[in-house]
Amino acid sequence: MDIHVEVNHQPLVWKVNPGQILLDVLRREGYKSVKFGCGQGDCGACTVLIDGQSMRSCLLLVGQVEGRSIVTVESLGNHDQPHPLQSSFVECGAVQCGYCTPGMLLSAKALLDENPKPDEDQVREALDGNLCRCTGYKKIIEAVLRAAERMRS
Amino acid sequence: MLANAKVCLYPRDQQEAVRILEEYGGQALVLAGGTTAALNSDPAVTTLVDLTRIGLDSIEEEDGEWSLGCCVRIQQIATHAGIAGLCDGMLSTAAGSVGSRPIRNMTTLGGNVVQVFRWSDPPVALMAMNAGFELMGPAGSRRLSADEFFERHPRQVLQRSEILTRVYVRRPQGASGGAFIKYARTAFDLAVVDAAVCIELDGRNCSAARVVVGGTRTVPWRSREAEKILVGSRLTKAVMRRAAAAARLETRAAGGVRTDGEYRRQMVEVIAGRVIEQAAQRARERS
Repeated sequence: MDIHVEVNHQPLVWKVNPGQILLDVLRREGYKSVKFGCGQGDCGACTVLIDGQSMRSCLLLVGQVEGRSIVTVESLGNHDQPHPLQSSFVECGAVQCGYCTPGMLLSAKALLDENPKPDEDQVREALDGNLCRCTGYKKIIEAVLRAAERMRS
Repeated sequence: MLANAKVCLYPRDQQEAVRILEEYGGQALVLAGGTTAALNSDPAVTTLVDLTRIGLDSIEEEDGEWSLGCCVRIQQIATHAGIAGLCDGMLSTAAGSVGSRPIRNMTTLGGNVVQVFRWSDPPVALMAMNAGFELMGPAGSRRLSADEFFERHPRQVLQRSEILTRVYVRRPQGASGGAFIKYARTAFDLAVVDAAVCIELDGRNCSAARVVVGGTRTVPWRSREAEKILVGSRLTKAVMRRAAAAARLETRAAGGVRTDGEYRRQMVEVIAGRVIEQAAQRARERS
């Protein structure tokens, strides 16, 4: 069936089986920033924003996103013009292997869109569903706080 | 993935949803948050029915009674100011203990309470708050008490083509207090035990109590023995300790990979003891 979605502000029509997993469809359509980690909602590597809310694309059937707006890291910034979150992740050393980074960035973006001045506890709460096995989280949290500060000024 | 699902339907109201379920029977799978549907691979499912567009996604208040639509997301409950003011915020605390932020953004109240998984913390609080559950089916709508709704697994309580539409919670009258505690090995893990208590005082004595334990059976249950000890008594430390011990004796808990049964029973006493004490303290402050 036809599923009408907006991905990174671009309206699209997907011809799919509605019972397919959104993560699989997104990757097949070229949104490779969305990572497969655990496939059961524990790790956060597949996080996308649906109507502004951070969600697991591995736990969504594509039929559920009819008419919804999806945001992936492809829309944030690029090498020459990174999003403030992306540059602060680089500066703070918040990226090591990088596999969790797209999910981290999107959970952080959802937080900053809603609350431009979060405290450390609010950053921890917003990122509580994104696992990182490299950094120990400290630098990620620093990076989000630094980006928030930069985006306010 | 549901490989044989060819169609996804989007009913616009609850009557239409029920009609679709009646028509498709066992071939239809109801979707709300979808977090469990995505792990389902039942080849019999040909039709998905998305309930999130039937207009039951808000929290409203009328005459002191709060109505929560079945498609309200758990995160909405965890952060709602009105819900935080009910029974010392025990439902907000319970909602906030579900999974992680993206899971709370996805999971709906209806899915959480109908499926009652081991990570469903809100049913424990809803049972202590004596919530009402409104169901809609081909024969019309009916309302069950929390005790009726969780008497068996709610999937067995719901009849064919019936859906949960709303959950009602009411502000208790007079000097009352509530508390909820989830005890798990890590912040993200499922509960070893969770417990919720609502206590009402009449003067110095306890006039009503609902002591609910979760995490030990498939559905939350009331410790009637603990309630018997509390109701009619002055809530001294000794009385509250006896009530918590009674909850342990009433616990049927199997062991598992997380903990053995004996540890879980002991934790019921500890956690039930803490919620009883907290709820009693809060009720006393209001009397």
